[in-house]
Amino acid sequence: MIPLQHFLLIGAILFSLGLFAIITRKNAIQILMGIELMLNASILNMVAFGKYDKIDNTGQIFGLFIIILAAAAVAVALVIIMNLYKRAQTIDPNQTKSLRG
Amino acid sequence: MESVFTNYELLCLAVTAITAPFLSFIFSLIFKKLAATFGIVSITVSLVFSAVLFFSVWQKQTFHFAFSWIKLGNVNINIGILLNNLSVLMLVLVSFIALLVHIYSVEYIRKEALKYRYFSYLSLFCFAMLCVVIADNLFLLYAFWELVGFASYLLIGFWFTKKKAVHANKKAFIMNRVGDVGFLIGLMILLSQFHTLDIETLFGAKGIINSSFVQNGLWVTPFATMPDYWLSIAGFCFLIGACGKSAQFPLHSWLPDAMQGPTAVSSLIHAATMVAAGVFLLLRVSPLFNDLVLTTMASIGLLTAFMAATIALTQNDIKKVLAFSTISQLGFMVLAVGVKDNAAAIFHLSTHAFFKCLLFLAAGMVIHQLHHVKEHTQSKFDEQDMRNMGGLSKLLPVTTVVFIIAALALSGLPFTSGYLSKDAILISVFEWAGERGGIYWLFPIVISITSWLTAFYIFRVIFKTFFGEFKLPSLINRKLEDLHLHDANLWMKIPAVVLAVFCFGFFFAVNPFNLESSWLHHAFNVKPHSESLLHLFVPIYINVLSLILIVSAYLIYVKNKVVFTNHKSWYYQFSYQQWYFNVLYDKKLVKLILWKAKISFWFDTQIIDGAVHLSAKATLVFSKIIDWIDRHIIDGFVNGLAGLVSRMNVWFRSMQSGKLQHYFVWMLLIFLSFMIYKVII
Amino acid sequence: MGLLSVLIFLPLAFGAVILMLPKSLNKWYKYISLAVCVAQLAIASYMYCHFKTGDAFAGVNQLSQYQWLENLKWIRLDVGQFGTLQIDYLLGVDGFSIGLIWLSALVMLVATLSSWEIKTNLKGYFALFLLLNASVVGVFCSLDLFLFYIFYELMLLPLYFLIGMWGGVRREYASIKFFLYTLFGSVFMLLVIAGLYLSVIDPNTGNHTFNMVYAMNPANYAEGSIFNSLSNIQIFGFPARTVGFLVVFVAFAIKVPVFPFHTWLPDAHVEAPTPISLILAGILLKVGGYGIIRIACGIFPEAAISLSFWMGLLGIISIIYGAMCALAQRDLKRLVAYSSVSHMGFVLLGIASLTSEGLNGAMMQMISHGFLSVMLFFIVGVIYTRVHDRDIYNFRGLANHMPVFTGFVMIAFFASLGLPGFSAFIAEAFTLIGAFSSETLNGFIPRWMAMVGALGILLGAGYLLWTLQRMFFGKLRLKKEEWKLALTDVNAREVIVMVPLAAMALVLGVMPSIAFDVMSSSVNQFLLMFK
Repeated sequence: MIPLQHFLLIGAILFSLGLFAIITRKNAIQILMGIELMLNASILNMVAFGKYDKIDNTGQIFGLFIIILAAAAVAVALVIIMNLYKRAQTIDPNQTKSLRG
Repeated sequence: MESVFTNYELLCLAVTAITAPFLSFIFSLIFKKLAATFGIVSITVSLVFSAVLFFSVWQKQTFHFAFSWIKLGNVNINIGILLNNLSVLMLVLVSFIALLVHIYSVEYIRKEALKYRYFSYLSLFCFAMLCVVIADNLFLLYAFWELVGFASYLLIGFWFTKKKAVHANKKAFIMNRVGDVGFLIGLMILLSQFHTLDIETLFGAKGIINSSFVQNGLWVTPFATMPDYWLSIAGFCFLIGACGKSAQFPLHSWLPDAMQGPTAVSSLIHAATMVAAGVFLLLRVSPLFNDLVLTTMASIGLLTAFMAATIALTQNDIKKVLAFSTISQLGFMVLAVGVKDNAAAIFHLSTHAFFKCLLFLAAGMVIHQLHHVKEHTQSKFDEQDMRNMGGLSKLLPVTTVVFIIAALALSGLPFTSGYLSKDAILISVFEWAGERGGIYWLFPIVISITSWLTAFYIFRVIFKTFFGEFKLPSLINRKLEDLHLHDANLWMKIPAVVLAVFCFGFFFAVNPFNLESSWLHHAFNVKPHSESLLHLFVPIYINVLSLILIVSAYLIYVKNKVVFTNHKSWYYQFSYQQWYFNVLYDKKLVKLILWKAKISFWFDTQIIDGAVHLSAKATLVFSKIIDWIDRHIIDGFVNGLAGLVSRMNVWFRSMQSGKLQHYFVWMLLIFLSFMIYKVII
Repeated sequence: MGLLSVLIFLPLAFGAVILMLPKSLNKWYKYISLAVCVAQLAIASYMYCHFKTGDAFAGVNQLSQYQWLENLKWIRLDVGQFGTLQIDYLLGVDGFSIGLIWLSALVMLVATLSSWEIKTNLKGYFALFLLLNASVVGVFCSLDLFLFYIFYELMLLPLYFLIGMWGGVRREYASIKFFLYTLFGSVFMLLVIAGLYLSVIDPNTGNHTFNMVYAMNPANYAEGSIFNSLSNIQIFGFPARTVGFLVVFVAFAIKVPVFPFHTWLPDAHVEAPTPISLILAGILLKVGGYGIIRIACGIFPEAAISLSFWMGLLGIISIIYGAMCALAQRDLKRLVAYSSVSHMGFVLLGIASLTSEGLNGAMMQMISHGFLSVMLFFIVGVIYTRVHDRDIYNFRGLANHMPVFTGFVMIAFFASLGLPGFSAFIAEAFTLIGAFSSETLNGFIPRWMAMVGALGILLGAGYLLWTLQRMFFGKLRLKKEEWKLALTDVNAREVIVMVPLAAMALVLGVMPSIAFDVMSSSVNQFLLMFK
């Protein structure tokens, strides 16, 4: 049986990679991919911790929720990126300043 | 014996006698041309009325009249007239001498432009002096006493463009003021002890001074009580007052300087009358003095008499010699009061007034004539310096004669008035010393020496001035005939001759060798007649030695047989520099006071004003500090707060860069810091 | 409207008239002002002549014995539970004030005559001058502390401007110094006045009152109030009444001026124009002495007794110190100013003795100094207007050049150094007699103080005679040759100014009872408070 630590380790690595991608990439698609990585890392953690809740299976249920939400979020994010491209002819988030306060 | 006059008439006489000179003082200033006439007429009126008063009061009655002047609390001060033997004697004396000096002055200052002022001031002086004499209380006496000083101030400074004269009158007034302060304090003591200043009430036959006594260290009077030393202080205060007016040590140095005034003034004021006012005051208040004060007084008199006589030995200015001789004779009088022989003091005061006045008038005649020579020949020399004179007896015979008569009286040789009065004092001093013995024998010894010195210095003047060789012609390179030197005219001669008559003893005593036969001395004498050998012995030994000294003066100054002085010797210089009192007073005392004044002013501007300025500055500095605090701290806080907010604003804005990834980083950082915080805590 | 109100409001009204007149009439201002002063002097003389003397008219702490009394209700403010605020328009004179009122009328007239030399901004000058005139008279006759304070402060305002605008080179400095000095005292005095108001109760109405006559009677003090002598309230560890006395004393001592509060005086005098110097010396200083007698000693008698030694000490220090400072001066005006300090020291010494002779002497000294210091300052003004120089060393031998003037100088100098026959002699002699007998009579001040004070007379002779000798005698020698033409002898106007002053000093010196008769019963009544 694979011990919990391994799951958590892989989850952490995945999360870190995703975070790295979010911070460093110049492409909105890549950032989106980073986000997906981080989401997947968290799903992995959820599922791994789900092993300890065998009655309600909260971990699994949360994992499914996250997948669904992630799918929805990706859909919305892709639409935003496409609209961004339409408006700014770029998908590099550093080129846009419309979020500036 | 009843007087021929009623009291009311006596009052009118006395008031007229004193107001006549006052009216003359006023009118002389208004009608300038008639000034001399006013002066002479008024003083003649005074003299006549005084004489009438004299004959109705002398040895008959005491007349006292007063009406209230100021009444405050328990002080009641009168204006009043007191006529007793002393007052009427002085009244006649003053007005008589003043009349002669007025007449003399007509000629003496004939050429002065401001002649009217002279006579006006002289009248003011006569008024004040007569008032001093008849004032019935000490307050009034004090008032006129100062007025006398003021008149003297005006007259000394009559030639007010002369620098020396104005220095002299300032000095005279201020030194007199020192005495006046003493007098005033004496007044205050008497007033608070007796609640009256009336002379008759205080010191008369039934005077309340007799009802006061010293007990248990307290001086008790019917009204009040003080520690007993105040009795001595009161005595000393009056003594200081008298010292100021009568030029006694240590307040004597104004009198020689006062000789800067016209000689007639010196004669009247600074020889015969005003300076005697000090002695007069001592006589008036004499019942007050206790033993300590009397002994001090005698010592001061003795010291002054001796000191002035030694100084007179070497002076070259003829008026200076006479001035010191005056101081010396006043010392005799003060000594007489000090040894409780008031009669001798009064007697000597009267005789001295005549012969000293005459000496000055005669000296004035010499000076006046030499002054003419000076103007006539347009030359420069000091007409008062005896070194320029000599041999004047041939040129000015009348002057010489009267001067010698007066000098004989001053030396106290037989047949003269001085013989009687001076011997009266000497005998008293001998008796006084005899009662006490011991160190007190110093008094008769020193006073005898002083008498001999008197004979010597006055004959030195005579021999240097009137005998020997006349030195002036060779000094100014003129012939004697060119000088037109001759006796003064009648205006000056008559007063001098009249005075000369009064220098003889016959006038004062039937037998000019017997003091007991003197009407004047007899009137005041309270001592029982003593038949001691002194009456025989003292005159003889004094006069014999005086004669010897006069002869030796003749040898020294006329024949030049004996050279006895070395001008460089310390004793000569000590005498010539007047015992260095002027140096001491002018250089040291005045400097000290001025220095103190400077210090005071420095204190005022630096310390007090400094403190004021400092407080002002401190306030300013404080306000500056407050201002700084306000600007930088309080305002700074407010501004700083606003600045901080805006700074933070900028900073937060920079966080909202609009770059998506920055937001992520921030989120990460905040999240991480939160986690770290959580882990640490 | 009583005579006193006329005396006060006459100058005020004509001051307003002057303000309203067009500038083209500015030649007439001085004549209007002169007419007002003549009228005032006439009224004051009338009052002085008809002043009733005797114990039934002593005044002091008996309101009914005051003469020409005017009592109007001025402010009645109902303050609820605190009762009614009562301020009266209360005027009246007694023996202490009548002489000073006459003196101020005369000095004002003299000052107007000497204002001929003022050439600039006449409208402002005479308007302020008349305002000053009104307030000075008001100070002497108001019997309500509030009214008194108003007049007292009102005096400062015109003086500040008169010195600051028409003065000499350092006039701003002098006027500010003067203003602050006086204000320093009077501000604290206001606190005491407020304290007195809270303590004193009008026996007729039961309200608190500013009436100073009621304040002199211990029975009128409310129970437990701050200045009630029975309530023993302490301020800074001292009894409240002592503190009250001290504060009021300092306020007036600044005015007198007493060492060490005197340094405003030389500066103010030196910088002030001549007429203002006359008023300062002639009247303002007297306000100080008057205030010490009536308010400080009258309201706090037992404090005055306990501090009389220190008052006397300050008095003699002022006498000697002022004379010493005068001796060191070479500016004639400064010398006269310091001589004022010395002479006013006698006033304080006389007051401190609390004897009949001393107080009468002090009052006499105030009046006499009023005439003589005015004359002295006028003399300085005569020289200053001619050559604009006052340095004693720059003049010599003026006696031959200006004989009439020198005559007046001699009179003024000898009168103020206390020559018998002049008022200063009587005043100083009686002050000293009072000070001396104090130890025997009541034991307030020791005898040596009188003896030291007598030395002041000596020093006075010193500086005055020195000046006389230095400036007036000797051969004529001036700093500049053209001064010879400028220094003309006194003209008619100047003679008119000096003659009455000299005459008054002489009259009072020969017949001092003219003044003593009027004040002696008041003084006796006053002294009863100290028994």
